[in-house]
Amino acid sequence: MRLIWANIVAIYRKELQSYFASPLAYAIAGIFWLLSGFFFTIILLGPQGYISLAAQADLQAQQIGLPAPPIDVAYEFLRAFLGIMGSLALFVLPILSMGLYAEERKRGTLELLATSPVTNWAVAVGKLLGVLTFFIAMILPLLAYQAIALSASNPPVPPAVPLLGHLGLILLAASVLSLGMFISSLTDSTLLAAVLTFALVLFLWVIDTVARAFSGPIGEALGHLSLLRHFNNLVQGIFDTGSIVVFASYIFLGIFLTAQSIDALRFQRS
Amino acid sequence: MISVEHLSKIYGSTPAIQDVTFSVEPGEIVGFLGPNGAGKTTTMRILTGYLPATSGSAKIAGYDVHENSLAVRQRIGYLPETPPLYPEMTVEAFLYFVTRLKGVPAGDRPSKVDAALKRCNLLEKRRVLIRKLSKGFRQRVGIAQAIVHDPPAIILDEPTVGLDPRQIIDVRNLIKSLAGTHTIILSTHILPEVSMTCNRVTIINQGKVVATNTPDNLEASLAGGSGYELEIEGNSTAAQQQIQRVSGVRVVEPIATTEIPANRAVLRVVSEPGIEPGKEIIATLVSMGIGVCEMRRTRASLEDVFLRLTTQEKLEDGANAQSAHFVNATATEEKQKEEVTP
Repeated sequence: MRLIWANIVAIYRKELQSYFASPLAYAIAGIFWLLSGFFFTIILLGPQGYISLAAQADLQAQQIGLPAPPIDVAYEFLRAFLGIMGSLALFVLPILSMGLYAEERKRGTLELLATSPVTNWAVAVGKLLGVLTFFIAMILPLLAYQAIALSASNPPVPPAVPLLGHLGLILLAASVLSLGMFISSLTDSTLLAAVLTFALVLFLWVIDTVARAFSGPIGEALGHLSLLRHFNNLVQGIFDTGSIVVFASYIFLGIFLTAQSIDALRFQRS
Repeated sequence: MISVEHLSKIYGSTPAIQDVTFSVEPGEIVGFLGPNGAGKTTTMRILTGYLPATSGSAKIAGYDVHENSLAVRQRIGYLPETPPLYPEMTVEAFLYFVTRLKGVPAGDRPSKVDAALKRCNLLEKRRVLIRKLSKGFRQRVGIAQAIVHDPPAIILDEPTVGLDPRQIIDVRNLIKSLAGTHTIILSTHILPEVSMTCNRVTIINQGKVVATNTPDNLEASLAGGSGYELEIEGNSTAAQQQIQRVSGVRVVEPIATTEIPANRAVLRVVSEPGIEPGKEIIATLVSMGIGVCEMRRTRASLEDVFLRLTTQEKLEDGANAQSAHFVNATATEEKQKEEVTP
């Protein structure tokens, strides 16, 4: 057990190291920060932003002479912002996961991993933790400026709401990365892995839309499978163990399939 | 240490290796020789547990490579055909990563990494990114990666590929220095490499083992023994007849050449294996009053052996018969070795 843990840590450290040495990782992080900063400003301070909307509502209310309808600006803002961050992440995640195994296969380093005393599981878990840590590092700066904005809110926002939202974002990312890792283990072309993972992300959207369109048992079943629905639940501050279980299942499924596919690779390769 | 029995691997319907059997004693260096596509890489991949065999079994240190894959993987160092390197890591960081992967205790890592760097002459490159290294250096990092955790068995797939002549010598010396404490299998298609580094050679062709023996024995007996090349002055026909009568001489034949004066001739003498009739030949010639201008010992090179064994059209049957003969030769030789060692 301790040995497996040491192996996971070895893979994890190597993955992290490679992200911080990779120009691609910096480019992705840079673009992600640029776009998230842009959306943050627009949603909060833009002409259609929540602050000006609230101000308009106040103004209208004063003109009519009635008390303003209550708007929880901080909550509405968080919901909108995290929703957009979720969508943005769906575009970024395939690029993060595409190289996880495809790159190892292309360089022949998979042969090193496969002939070392390391199980496929340990490699997959280490890799997933590594890429997830990189993603978390990417969303850390966003936390800082959200904290600044939310600290100005009166009444103060209960910390559980933004925490749950970000937990949702991380779980969504972990699920997509885990499945993306499996796709990456199927090919030695990073480009193909990225394209297929994009297709998977689009499929997630389709499931979500279909689930909304159908109201019967089918829609309900699809709704339970929809990652985006569970993500939205968490963003809205609804803590549901079911959602956590669904995310955990997707993550486990991705790791399981990856380990199996690497095993199969060793048994079929010609 | 390493024993391979009746190993076969079939891809789809094409067999890559068939009924390969050989064994490597502890501390030995065995060369795996064969033309490209003979099944060397496949055999090595099976030995490392990277590929499963279709039938047969392979054991390293008593552990089956398939059943006890993890135990085997703990005991081997492996350099694949393309060195498995992460270009964005420094040489040192990469070797530390490998020691962690191989389960070297944290306290031993610095000394092991240092030793590997020193052995592979990589000390001045330890902080350089692998991406920036030339092919020869990358190959050396590949070798360092295979030996860094001091495994009892080392499997090297074409270790000297891409190196310059000076580095090749270094790598051969390195491999020789590992013998005794480590068991090594190395594959190659470069013949001098085998005769210089290996205790024993296994020649494989089209997926089948065609011969196993020491390089010297292979050279000596498979190509029909050693011999001489003579440049003589006088009656060459008479000389030829007389030399033919000397015991231990198998064949005498003139070699046509235009580079010598008219009254001289060049003869090629092939002797029986293990017999050196040089003295008698000289005595005969001197007693006939024939002048000896040059006498040179010729040895069949491993190259000849290799070509004979791997050129199928001509010698298919002969090679098979001889390979059986060779397995026997190896067995007797080992017996002799055992008798000598204590």
